[in-house]
Amino acid sequence: MSEKYRGLSPAEFFHRNKEIAGFSNPSRALYQTVRELVENSLDATETHGILPYIDVEVQLHEDRPEWVTLRVADNGIGIPVHEIPNVFGRVFYGSKYVVRQTRGVFGLGVKMAVLYAQMTTGKPIYVKSSTRDSDVVGEYLLYIDISRNIPHVQKMRIKKKNKNWHGTIVRLTLEGAWLQSKKRIEDYIRRTALISPYATIRYRSPDGELLFERVSKELPEPPQIGKYHPKGVDIEILKDLIRRSNNNDMTLAGFLEKYFEGVGEKIAQEFLTWAGFQPDTKVKELKLADLEKLATAMKNFPKWRRPRPLTLSPLGPELLKKGVKSILKPEFATAVIRPPSSYGGHAFIVEAAIAYGGEIPPQDNVLLLRFANKMPLLYDEGVDVSRKIVDSIDWSIYKIKFPAPVAVVTHVCSTKIPFKGVGKEAIADVPELEHELEIAIRDVARRLRIYLSKLEKMYEVKRKEVTIRKYMGEVSSSLAYVLNMDPSSISSLLEELLKKELEKKEVTVNA
Amino acid sequence: MPKNTQQAGKPISPSSEEVLARLEQLAKSIYDQIQSGKPPYLDIPVRTLANTIWDKKRKLLVLGPKTAKREFFDIGESKRFMQTILMLSLIVRARRENDYPTIRDLYYTGKHTIYYVNEYGKKVSEETWDDQRESNAVIQDIEVATGLLREHMGIMHDAKGRIVGNMIIRSKGTEIDLSRMGSGAWGIPSNVDQLEITKVEADYVLVVEKGAIFERLNEEEFWKKNKCILVTGKGQPDRSTRRMVRRLWEEFDLPVYILTDADSYGYYIYSVYRSGSISLSYESERLATPEARFLGVSTSDIERYKIPKNYIIKATERDIKRAKELMNYPWFKESKRWMEELQLFIERGEKIEIEALSGHGFKFLSNVYIPEKIANKEWII
Repeated sequence: MSEKYRGLSPAEFFHRNKEIAGFSNPSRALYQTVRELVENSLDATETHGILPYIDVEVQLHEDRPEWVTLRVADNGIGIPVHEIPNVFGRVFYGSKYVVRQTRGVFGLGVKMAVLYAQMTTGKPIYVKSSTRDSDVVGEYLLYIDISRNIPHVQKMRIKKKNKNWHGTIVRLTLEGAWLQSKKRIEDYIRRTALISPYATIRYRSPDGELLFERVSKELPEPPQIGKYHPKGVDIEILKDLIRRSNNNDMTLAGFLEKYFEGVGEKIAQEFLTWAGFQPDTKVKELKLADLEKLATAMKNFPKWRRPRPLTLSPLGPELLKKGVKSILKPEFATAVIRPPSSYGGHAFIVEAAIAYGGEIPPQDNVLLLRFANKMPLLYDEGVDVSRKIVDSIDWSIYKIKFPAPVAVVTHVCSTKIPFKGVGKEAIADVPELEHELEIAIRDVARRLRIYLSKLEKMYEVKRKEVTIRKYMGEVSSSLAYVLNMDPSSISSLLEELLKKELEKKEVTVNA
Repeated sequence: MPKNTQQAGKPISPSSEEVLARLEQLAKSIYDQIQSGKPPYLDIPVRTLANTIWDKKRKLLVLGPKTAKREFFDIGESKRFMQTILMLSLIVRARRENDYPTIRDLYYTGKHTIYYVNEYGKKVSEETWDDQRESNAVIQDIEVATGLLREHMGIMHDAKGRIVGNMIIRSKGTEIDLSRMGSGAWGIPSNVDQLEITKVEADYVLVVEKGAIFERLNEEEFWKKNKCILVTGKGQPDRSTRRMVRRLWEEFDLPVYILTDADSYGYYIYSVYRSGSISLSYESERLATPEARFLGVSTSDIERYKIPKNYIIKATERDIKRAKELMNYPWFKESKRWMEELQLFIERGEKIEIEALSGHGFKFLSNVYIPEKIANKEWII
């Protein structure tokens, strides 16, 4: 699984790309580090069929309050003992270089965190890990040797496992602005718990402990490792695949069939004819200009099959609803999943949920919770496609009158999330995606409307009952006085009539 | 002449047994609905302008045929239904105990607090009625639903009308000679229909708007010198004053003259004596005097009687607006003289009070103005 990449000095890369990676200042850096570690932990568990248990701890340094120690422990698949130094101490190394929905795409984030920690506090990173089938536990204290891009192990200990523990514990100390970032971090943990209702997440910080216990033992189908869709390639990918094929006799037709999704003999032939290539050309002989022409043709060929969504792992409406209910504690929640779709050769699936009432505070606008590949998106909401859609909807047609306690959750799963800009916090308004999102949001909004009108009707019935009963005593006793009767005989007759009246209007409401 | 078969002067109230029976019947009809498993309702003639008819021949506003179902199980009407039944029981109790409450008494007797839990589970409370307009309204509902007037039901009001003149009345077995009141006058009681008018010796009835003018004319013994019955409602007349005027016109064939200030308020008072008010149109048949003649003071009198400038008051915007409304009343609309008079009022924008005639001396009103106008038939109708 190890691939060699161009030798760009990670330190250089890091300095150049601090903003891109989200380490622009101590507050953002702390938040980003929490994120990277938690997301790694989730990928190490749920993707492999393990119900996640994740323990996050933030501690402030006793003497230097700007130093924050962060510890994240999981019960994931663990890292083979000999791989630990490379996984944490070498940039561009990892298992995520495949076509599959994962949270981080380049596996880069955690190394950025290590680098940042190392550069701001000079402290090594502590890692303890063990895999499921291993009988040892590895413990490391390590640095990244910045100039050489190799791990530098300060201390290492390998112990016999006495319990059947597997997972990874990472602890690092970095310069972070806890006070400025704590709200975001808590929000992030909370929303992560929402989108991972099968995970138990414990979060300890100077402010106390939060425990989100799993509300479901059902894991979503893990995403499968898939092939590239022909529409989604570029020259670099083509070069990489050709290099990997390691076969000097492979023809262009064979290459397409082997490495691309949904490409059979017939479609390969048809495409190559359309694009003006000889099907039996050896791929090894293709020049850069040929690759350029090939990539462009692959992007533009109109007859590829749509990408299959097997590489995606949405939550599904049931789980999403559970997550929404357990975190937002609304009186009503519903969720929907859209059929798979694609844009530019990338498969995607959209899910949406809506929640109303309960502990959601009434606000002048829809509370929006955005997720991409099970990651909460907390920043840049204003430019996100979901916000754009939510704001364009006239909510009064769904019986929402602001201020209203209403929250919309959107989840976009894709092998390539079309992020807007480099911050990876906002999704761009790609038309195909926007279309699916709008359908999904309107669908859950419609269900909310049905619920609200039932509720309205129920209150109407209740109001009627209350009103009639309120005056019944007065009517009974007054009539009884005039007619020299017993008031209770009149009120029991009225009571019966009221019951009949209400039965006519009976409404049941399921939240 | 609209004459009634009733013997002149006799009390015309239904017997108290009949009143009680009709009230009980209303309650019984509600109970019958409940017992037969039907949601209870009251059928109440609608008392809005849309259900008022101007009876051209009789020159009366009368209630139209429209009725409204007031259903207990309709939450919009439930409270009013309760209030109606509550009021019914209060009235029945008064009749059974031979009590004569005023409308204000009934308001207080029936007002109490209902505590309940609302649809959101909150403990709240509500008054049976919040102000007297609500209790008065259900009294009117019961009047139209039973065909009984509140006076028949023994409901009193703060009666303020006064009368003096050459006539004898029998009330509660006592004969009262209204010509022997000295400087005073007799207060017209709430229930005029229970009175027996045993003797009337007069040529006409003079109704004056203002109590002060009434006092002055009484002090001068105007009624004795001019052989008339003198009445005042002290401003806007109550039902009993109107009923008394009506009985004198209807049962004793006396012409009725109305004397008010020359402004839209005075003209409206005339209109109430003559045709009744829209909200109480169901009482018109009993209270209105369709042939009442407006004697004055009119706007045209300003010129005719050369009223000195210092007695002329500028009309307010409200006066003008009111006058324009009066021009739409059917009984004014069909009178050419009235339309001219109202038009003149609006054009001049000036009003005068009865007292303005004193500009020609204090006795001018009694010695000249009234007798001359009547003799010359210078009234407006």
